[in-house]
Amino acid sequence: MVDHKSILEDHVLGTLNRRQLMRGLGAGGAILASGLGSRSAYANGGEIRLAWINHVDTLDPHFTGFLGAVKIHNNIYNGLLKVEYDGKRVSFVPDLAETWDIRDDKVHTFKLRPGVKFHDGTPCDAEAVKWSVERVWKGTPKSPHAWKYKELASVEVVDPLTVRLTFNKPYAFLPVALTGSTGRAGTIVSRAAVEKYGDKFGRNPVGTGPFKFVSWRENDSIVLEKNPDYFEKGLPKLNKATFLLMKEASSGVAAVLSGQVDGMSDSPVQFVKQLAAAPNLKVYGEIEGNYIFVGMNCMRPPFDDINLRRAVAFCLNREIIIKQAFFDQGIVAYTPISPPMTDFYDPNVAKSGRGQFLDLEKAKAFRAKAKNQGTVEVVFLASEQGTYGTRLAQTVLPMLEAINIKAKLEVVERAAWVSRRNARDFDMFDANWWADLDPDETVHPEFHSGAPWNYPGWSNKRFDELVDAAQVTLDVAKRKAYYMEACDILMDEAPIAIVSHMPVFKIFSKKVTGFKYIPVDSLNLHTVGIG
Amino acid sequence: MLLFALGKVLQTLMVMMIVSVVSFTLLKLAPGDPIQIMLGEEYSPKAHESLVKELGLDRPLVEQYVHWIGNFATGNWGVSYVGKAPIFQYAFVEALPVTLTLAASALGLAILIGVPLGVLSATRKDTAWDAVSAVFTLTATAFPSFYLGLILIWVFGVKLGLFPTLGFVPPWKDLWGGLMHMTLPAVTLSTYFLAMIVRLTRANLIETLQQPYIAAARARGEPEWRVVWVHGLRNILMPLVTILGLQLGALLQGAVLTETVFSLPGVGQMITQAVLDREYAIVQAGVMLTACLFITTNLLVDLAYPYLDPRLRPR
Amino acid sequence: MADIRATSSPGRIGPSSLGALAWFARARFFLLLASSVLAAFVLSAVFAPWLTPYGPVEQDMSSFMQPPLSGTHVLGTDSFGRDLLTRTIYGARYALTIGFGAVLVGACGGLIVGMAAGLSGGLVEWALMRFIDALLALPSLVMAIAFISILGQGLDKVVLAVGVALIGPFSRTVRADVLQVKAQAFVEAAGLMGIGRLAIVRRHILPNVIFPLAVQATIRISYAVLVSSGLSFLGIGVAPPTPDWGLMIAEGRSFVSFAPWIAGVPGTALAILLIALSVVGDGVRERFDPKLGRQ
Repeated sequence: MVDHKSILEDHVLGTLNRRQLMRGLGAGGAILASGLGSRSAYANGGEIRLAWINHVDTLDPHFTGFLGAVKIHNNIYNGLLKVEYDGKRVSFVPDLAETWDIRDDKVHTFKLRPGVKFHDGTPCDAEAVKWSVERVWKGTPKSPHAWKYKELASVEVVDPLTVRLTFNKPYAFLPVALTGSTGRAGTIVSRAAVEKYGDKFGRNPVGTGPFKFVSWRENDSIVLEKNPDYFEKGLPKLNKATFLLMKEASSGVAAVLSGQVDGMSDSPVQFVKQLAAAPNLKVYGEIEGNYIFVGMNCMRPPFDDINLRRAVAFCLNREIIIKQAFFDQGIVAYTPISPPMTDFYDPNVAKSGRGQFLDLEKAKAFRAKAKNQGTVEVVFLASEQGTYGTRLAQTVLPMLEAINIKAKLEVVERAAWVSRRNARDFDMFDANWWADLDPDETVHPEFHSGAPWNYPGWSNKRFDELVDAAQVTLDVAKRKAYYMEACDILMDEAPIAIVSHMPVFKIFSKKVTGFKYIPVDSLNLHTVGIG
Repeated sequence: MLLFALGKVLQTLMVMMIVSVVSFTLLKLAPGDPIQIMLGEEYSPKAHESLVKELGLDRPLVEQYVHWIGNFATGNWGVSYVGKAPIFQYAFVEALPVTLTLAASALGLAILIGVPLGVLSATRKDTAWDAVSAVFTLTATAFPSFYLGLILIWVFGVKLGLFPTLGFVPPWKDLWGGLMHMTLPAVTLSTYFLAMIVRLTRANLIETLQQPYIAAARARGEPEWRVVWVHGLRNILMPLVTILGLQLGALLQGAVLTETVFSLPGVGQMITQAVLDREYAIVQAGVMLTACLFITTNLLVDLAYPYLDPRLRPR
Repeated sequence: MADIRATSSPGRIGPSSLGALAWFARARFFLLLASSVLAAFVLSAVFAPWLTPYGPVEQDMSSFMQPPLSGTHVLGTDSFGRDLLTRTIYGARYALTIGFGAVLVGACGGLIVGMAAGLSGGLVEWALMRFIDALLALPSLVMAIAFISILGQGLDKVVLAVGVALIGPFSRTVRADVLQVKAQAFVEAAGLMGIGRLAIVRRHILPNVIFPLAVQATIRISYAVLVSSGLSFLGIGVAPPTPDWGLMIAEGRSFVSFAPWIAGVPGTALAILLIALSVVGDGVRERFDPKLGRQ
């Protein structure tokens, strides 16, 4: 079989020299024409242009629902804490704070760096931090991230540079709440700017970060420029960052391959091999805190039957799914706990016998115990606008047929998908939970009885006890034990069939230097230079 | 003459009014409750009620329409549901210039290349060249522009790296960059019109060259190129303008597809994205904008006719 | 789809007549070729289930992204392992169905509105004319997009949306025809003879309007196919996994660099069908519509 793919790739790589020549000619012309244009070159630092294929809803971190926006927020704002990664461990370190002190598990004291200013010149002191925290905690309009401060009792200013957060119970999730999980509750915004812009603050963001906001042209681009007064000396290196907003990933791929842009904010799985093979690009991406699953409606037949669910959980061939639906990207998942949760992930989970995995014998055995022994007909809800489209659903359909479940694929638009999922108008659906750093956010709001994101409608008392307990203890060993037991229950009762953990990619041209990859779906330009 | 112009303007206003009523109805008929979308997580029956009152949605429809049309005429087009982007800024200030630049470039290209090609076809009538030209125009009028755009992106943009494949650079800010970015999209959009203009020029020229005054000019000893290009093409203006008027719709429609293929942030992409995002206010603004654009251009074409052809001047 | 067109009409005396005949003969050859291609598309669309080796939505994930002529799939497979030859042939079904359906809707609507405009007078006529102008103020694609935003996606909705978008152009043609027929002497005579208005409409006007309308309809089919493919390409037409060519091109867009056949096969098919329809349409117009350059 002729490998057209390689031939085409060779062809592309082989024509690079001519392309460089053409680009050189074009560049010469551009230099000539730059007298006509106003494209002034900055003295040093340079400018980076990124193809942004993720949706950006707002630049107000307290009201965003999209990771695509948070990636940009991290360059405009700072939080009390930030996430660091040394290649092996994920850790939470002080950011705007200089020191972070925890006393008897409930009191967190942050001593702030002196002399930090917002982009509008107002000082970022303890009062400013307190105001920002209160905005998320109990401000109006109500922030969708207010729940992260559910157990907060008070936030006080101890002295102009010290803030104290006191909680009712020990709050293990705090570091993540302050830094990650889709919107950073600990992000500090400028009070003056919020009061000035009101509900338009989301389009006129003011923070303390390495880059200042310049403009946002809808559906076109967001432009940031260097903050010369950034508190980390020597940073940022870049003078300007342009995020070109595009919906169509293949346009972004074409642009980054031809050098028109210096990077991409993400890449759908089907392009990764091609991008990795391009000699002028570097692909960053490791398995991040997420999992993909097939969810089943536990509140009505046929999936109110636990044995039918177990049959589904064991009949899915995860390796084939990874190969065919995800173009060979991802690793098999056994439980919802993923590798970046360094303190909780068991690297040997595959051999441990725990969790869900492919075992057709077991699947058939469970199927034989199910109430409905005839062909079970179900509706599988899917949408093309999800991360992987309908690929997972389409790959899974024949696997379900092997255990006598005939699934009918109902493909709807995203908006309809969301409302049907919320209304529990489905038998099966597929989805993913993304960018999690702590087991708490990965299982609690999704599987606790009555929790807002518990779409399968599952309930288990012991599971609730375990995850509630794990939330209020800071002892890592204890938490790990709780979560292991909780996940075992979860995987056994199978409201979902877990599939895989996925890598998340950032693509940069090789002339981009200094990018520090962190497995939290972030794109920090602090240390980035372009050479 | 003035009366004629006035009459035309009146007609235009009436048409605009009908379009605005249709647009307004569009928003009312749209499924999904925009109030729900706007409130998002804040949703509660009480919030719903108060927002309805605030937006005046409990008023009688006619009153709502008058209010809306008044707002629209003064540039107050509201904000998008989710991102609160000001729609007037988005549609009129940012997106419209992009679409206009694209349309103008495509038309310009089509005329610049189409007329000479048409002349060539006419002067080399019934030769192999003419046959090739016939095949080309046939193919080009029917070829789906979005597919052509994809082919151009990958051949000229990625493989050969000659042109940028996405994004818009305003030529008034950066001429060279603007031209480079506009090349592939303009070529894609212009193909259909190129073919039509070639056909039109060919037909027109063939007919004109048979007129007696052409023979007279030749007899006078005028060089052939003058005969063809100056005397032969003197009749081309009217049909060209007519084509513009008739095919304006096709131009705008082609622009929608081209913008999507090349990620140009124009009106077409704005409308398509708004439909997918259920941002009906933006769809409505886009529809009104497109219609106004179309109607205005048609009006200009209509008003231009009497100037171009004295025979059409009203007595 | 040119509306102003070359006229080397045969029968003109002079030195150009030989050239004209040569052009004519050449044109006829194209017409023949295009008609056979069109017939091939129609036949394969009708007999699709018998002609295709696989099902149109049948997946074979183990052989996904196979290039053409590489194995059991003549035209290759897409990223779900679906046979492209099958999907392309079924795609002809969808393209032609939507094309015919939309034109039918548009022609019927246009007939009603155009007749009303042509037969009425005074203020009513003026208002109807403005209404038609308003319909024409939006390019078909944009109007179809606007309708889809209300109706939602799906095959029937695409037919409806594109059809409604075509009412404008059709009603303008019908009205012009009605006015033309109305001015004929025999219609006036019938009126003078006391034959009822309705009878005149039915027996004289309608038949003379239907025929040119049918000609126009034939010409506009390619336009309808183009608009509906465009809608699907934009992602707001038919929903996956329907084997619609526009949708297939959009799906294949992601893979253009290393699997160009996924978009290439349906793209080529669409281009060929549109060209064939265009040539046939031109031929029909040339044959049946001696008045050129009118709307």
